[in-house]
Amino acid sequence: MPKPAPAATLLPLTPPVFHILLALADEERHGYSIMQDVARQTNDALQIGPGTLYGCLKRMLAAGLVEESDERPDTELDDERRRYYRMTDLGRSVVRAEARRLADAVTAARARLGLAGGK
Amino acid sequence: MDSISIRGLCGVYAAMLYAYPRDFRRQYGASMRQVFRDRCREQRGKSWFAFGLLTAADWITSVIRERRAASAATVVQTGSGRKLIQEWAVTLLLFLFVTTTMVQAYVVPTGSMENNILIGDHMLVDKVGFSNTGNNWASYVLPSRQVERGEIIAFRYPVDVSQTFVKRVIGLPGDRIHLQNKQVIRNGQPLDESYAQHVTSYIDDDRDNFPTAAAPAAFAHHVQDGDVVVPPEMLFVMGDNRDNSLDSRYWGFVPRDYIVGKPLMIYWSYDATTPELATWNLAHIEDVALHFFTKTRWRRTLTAP
Repeated sequence: MPKPAPAATLLPLTPPVFHILLALADEERHGYSIMQDVARQTNDALQIGPGTLYGCLKRMLAAGLVEESDERPDTELDDERRRYYRMTDLGRSVVRAEARRLADAVTAARARLGLAGGK
Repeated sequence: MDSISIRGLCGVYAAMLYAYPRDFRRQYGASMRQVFRDRCREQRGKSWFAFGLLTAADWITSVIRERRAASAATVVQTGSGRKLIQEWAVTLLLFLFVTTTMVQAYVVPTGSMENNILIGDHMLVDKVGFSNTGNNWASYVLPSRQVERGEIIAFRYPVDVSQTFVKRVIGLPGDRIHLQNKQVIRNGQPLDESYAQHVTSYIDDDRDNFPTAAAPAAFAHHVQDGDVVVPPEMLFVMGDNRDNSLDSRYWGFVPRDYIVGKPLMIYWSYDATTPELATWNLAHIEDVALHFFTKTRWRRTLTAP
């Protein structure tokens, strides 16, 4: 078990890491399901491939943001070899902190650029 | 895309995984293959080419990142120079495979496709899409489709196969074609050709009324009631610069097998004064060295023809 770092030192997150965490916010998922969910979240603007996905997951596992799950939620249509991932408490606080940071950045940008405030 | 082709693609991807560091491959290789297979199965209807580019980009960037991470971690363990060379050799081989088999670079030396393709356009040609001629290993492995009317293709010039030409497909097998005062009539319908340009207003009989008695011998057995009928496995092609294009009207049909591919992207467009830029002669190198920034048509860079 790696020593949990304080959330703030892990910020900012790269876009793939941020969206992978969001994908895991409400359920455990396997690799392909994460990939689909990231595409859905971003309207296909961010499409991550297998290499990026597992590279990120490797680093996120090492940092303690996610962990492998032993349970297999999709029991019927599932394959033995599929690995499921779940977000840790640290992961949750990090993704929250990142979302706050992004919200602050958007607020600052709106103020400077004179864009219409949140509708 | 049937299951055989997907299996083939997965095989290619499995080979590509060897470019990753061994530990990473052992840990995640099986999962990555599975994700790739799932992704292929859900691809139907969407562009295989975009998917291919995305996969290639993902592969290159993540290979580099994982390699760097792995070499930072193992630098203390062993003097593994040889292993490093070995692993990079695989990457290099795969890269060479992609650049020679899947895409190829060409430069355009004539203005026959103006104003859509200009002299000095350097472009990448997708060699995979039309490779489905049935006698090719790629047709079992790679995505492929049929040529369509109105598409721009690169092909071997039937009169001299060492030259590659770029023209637009006007007639597919079975189509009946003739030209009447510059207007193309296909299967009885006049075509609305917004892509074509005419630089002269007079009518040149062999060029603008086709076929005439002077049409090339290649058409001798393919004229019926004033129409040229495109035979099976052949294409009728014309340049967009209609009044100044050496195309099917002058030398006959293009065999389907002569297609090289589809122009994908102009990666550099250089406004050269002579058409001699196909070969890198001294004068051309000097010209580029002096005028690279002013004579490059920046607006055309990275556009699709």
